[in-house]
Amino acid sequence: MASKRALEGSGEAGPSKRRRAEDSNDYVDEEYHSEQDDNASFVPRGATINFSALTRKLAEARRAKPIDGDESSLDAHRRQQDALVSHIFMDQDFSFLHLKPDHASRPLWISPDDGHIILEAFSPIAEQAQDFLVAISEPVSRYADSCCVIYTSRHAIRPAFIHEYKLTSYSLYAAVSVGLQTEDIIEVLNRLSKVPVPETITNFIRERTLSYGKVKLVLKHNKYFVESSHPETLQLLLKDKVIREARVVSQLTDNSIKAATFTTTKAPVKGNLVIPGTKEAEKKKDDTAGTRIGASISGGAADADLFTSIVGVDNDEIDEDDDNVHAFEIDDAKIDDVKKRCNELEYPMLEEYDFRNDTVNANLDIDLKPATVIRPYQETSLSKMFGNGRARSGIIVLPCGAGKTLVGITAACTIKKSCLVLCTSSVSVMQWKQQFMQWSNVTDRQIAVFTADQKERFAGESGIVVSTYSMVANTHNRSHESKKMMEFLTSREWGFILLDEVHVVPAAMFRRVVTTIKAHSKLGLTATLVREDDKIADLNYMIGPKLYEANWMDLAAKGHIANVQCAEVWCPMTPEFYKEYLREQSRKRMLLYCMNPKKFQACQFLIKFHEARGDKVIVFSDNVFALEAYAKKLGKPYIHGGTGQVERMRVLQWFQHDSNVNTIFLSKVGDTSIDLPEATCLIQISSHFGSRRQEAQRLGRILRAKRRNDEGFNAFFYSLVSKDTQEMFYSTKRQQFLIDQGYAFKVITHLDGLEDLEDLVYKTKDEQIELISSVLLANESEADLGTDIRGNEGDLAGTVTSKDFGPTRFPAAQRTTGSLTALSGAQHMSYVEQNKSANKKLARDAAPRHKLFSRRDKDKATARKEQRAMGRT
Amino acid sequence: MRAIKGVLLTCDSAVKQILLTMNEKDPFVIEDLDDYHLVIKADEEYRVRRELEAELEKNTYSLETN
Repeated sequence: MASKRALEGSGEAGPSKRRRAEDSNDYVDEEYHSEQDDNASFVPRGATINFSALTRKLAEARRAKPIDGDESSLDAHRRQQDALVSHIFMDQDFSFLHLKPDHASRPLWISPDDGHIILEAFSPIAEQAQDFLVAISEPVSRYADSCCVIYTSRHAIRPAFIHEYKLTSYSLYAAVSVGLQTEDIIEVLNRLSKVPVPETITNFIRERTLSYGKVKLVLKHNKYFVESSHPETLQLLLKDKVIREARVVSQLTDNSIKAATFTTTKAPVKGNLVIPGTKEAEKKKDDTAGTRIGASISGGAADADLFTSIVGVDNDEIDEDDDNVHAFEIDDAKIDDVKKRCNELEYPMLEEYDFRNDTVNANLDIDLKPATVIRPYQETSLSKMFGNGRARSGIIVLPCGAGKTLVGITAACTIKKSCLVLCTSSVSVMQWKQQFMQWSNVTDRQIAVFTADQKERFAGESGIVVSTYSMVANTHNRSHESKKMMEFLTSREWGFILLDEVHVVPAAMFRRVVTTIKAHSKLGLTATLVREDDKIADLNYMIGPKLYEANWMDLAAKGHIANVQCAEVWCPMTPEFYKEYLREQSRKRMLLYCMNPKKFQACQFLIKFHEARGDKVIVFSDNVFALEAYAKKLGKPYIHGGTGQVERMRVLQWFQHDSNVNTIFLSKVGDTSIDLPEATCLIQISSHFGSRRQEAQRLGRILRAKRRNDEGFNAFFYSLVSKDTQEMFYSTKRQQFLIDQGYAFKVITHLDGLEDLEDLVYKTKDEQIELISSVLLANESEADLGTDIRGNEGDLAGTVTSKDFGPTRFPAAQRTTGSLTALSGAQHMSYVEQNKSANKKLARDAAPRHKLFSRRDKDKATARKEQRAMGRT
Repeated sequence: MRAIKGVLLTCDSAVKQILLTMNEKDPFVIEDLDDYHLVIKADEEYRVRRELEAELEKNTYSLETN
């Protein structure tokens, strides 16, 4: 770490200075340095300070406490150590908690302070414990990777195989919403814990879960009702100002006392539900006697789990004793405020949809195709959603490339009602539609698309509409057509709303979507439930709790996603570059650390190394200036927003099919949706500051590598970082999400054999100085990130997809060749472009086009020629 | 000429560049020897170390500041 670098003063320097330095806290270790031998200066500063402080404390303690004669020295020693331990851990000294006699066989530690739970992942029952913990708490970090990541936080040192979880209000809320009950949670926790569950924690759990699940938000006949089987609870809620104001008093009151306040109906009863595509569904088909049907309600996969047997997810409704439910109606414009308010009052509303008993909305006749089989973890995630035979609203978190789309489609096929799918860009709209057609038997008539260019409606009573967030949330300047389409969307009741990439949508836009569209149940899908703006909590009440989060490491171990080795390569800045870097205060700084010649060399070396291994390499750079410079210098093809459609397809095709083109450079356009399953190695040279999401998305590009099931296959992910610059800061920040998922980043400070590379770029000082002058000449605007991409109308800002970079630009002026040279008198000179882009070197006829298109192209060309000829004459 | 008490600093090239920029603001370097060595005024040593530490800390991400 850069901070650990200490200057070494030469030993001879003025001793009087040393004395003075001693007095200051920051430099107490100096004294020890000088007393010990020279090696001491290699001890990291942090460690030295701690050690010296400790020694002193210990010595002090010894002096202060005269040893009693009647006490054995062992006791004294122990007492001293205890005192020392509590001194180090201060408030977090939990040694007063007594271990249970059989603690060795129990895998959990619980911190009474803040609800953190530490799981020993090497315990034989760790897997069951993990299932339980995932249900009741938020994963903080999982260090499943076998290489040892020592990671210090304010708690302790956590080596490999130690997972950390945290009990939060939201996680407990989620636990209750999937059907777990307070006492069961405490009991299971007690069984697994090494120490008796602390009072504070049991109280916390009781307090948080008691009020949960009592209030439900139900949509009936296009009106929202707050429903509960406890009238007292509703009375309590109505005492709140916000909720009272949001209430709609209906005229239809009948005579009973209760009905004066609330409408009363029968509580829904559960029935049998089978999620299509799961094993249960298959079993059901085989087993005509239907003996298993009863058991299949819980979704099956978790059957054998330790906690389901005790806790009984299969339990009936929480409030069996009361068959009547009471409800009052609320204004749909204020629905969001009410939800938020209820959360604050600690009566979070559950949103459940009893879709099988919904006779008002027409059924949609879709099913998964018989050949479609979903993976076990997809099944588990869906069983959480349909746990009690109804559809719960919530968020499912799965890594990139693990089949989020299929989960969404399966959910839609289970509910079988009208469905609205919202995604981030018009390109993903088309992808969703195509996926629906691929996996389910939905017909073309039943699925409609609503984007800036296409406004369709489905035929019949029910169907699927795919659209973007901004199309639906847009409040102004609508065309007549889209206004009509919006009326269509808002006028009806939707059985199910699917929200893709929920983490990117701005909160305000989300609110508008959620309030204008009336849907019975919502499902959010995402790979990275992190936001840089800390608005993640908003999602909790706008959509629902997190229903399921997959463990990346588990999926990798089972071969669903590729194994990835991550590394951060530290490239020292050359003195010239660093000097300019320090002088420059503007955005150009970034250009300087991207264009660091040492980084060029590292990049070249890594490409060469991996090409020799037979890997396909993608190099990512957010900065277009750097992208072009690197690609041209290293002679590799590149794609950015300015690359034409034909050229782009040609480059991609070469990369996929030709063994001579093993490396491509991509700008931000390659972040999402580009599907290159050939790629097995990824190098990142410039990135979007500290965005954890981008890091995860980029990693996602190689998670679906085709070769992932090969024995011992590893994909590689490199981040090139210029040392001693801001990039170090951003890079560490970016990695946090992946580290929490259990990835370990190795730091490479020196690439072996780099100097021996024959045609190493920027080897001499002259070349480096030439490079720096070109960087300094560049415009400040060149340092901007992602300048090459523009969204379509109706796309979310900041989201891009690879295959379409917005409207194609036509050159404003027409160019003719030859005239200028003639005018400047240089007719007989010829020039050769030295530093050509490698794109041009790819053979023109690379992409064999269909006859129809080539004929059309030819026709177009001749037409253009004729036109030009006409214009001249 | 009056004698000045100095300290020899050994550092890597990046740190040297940081020191040179700091020097522009508030001179303390007596002699720039080579890529890795500097002689600075002895009285300034403590201040220089502290400022350097702060400068390097800017590029480190720690969980607590998160």
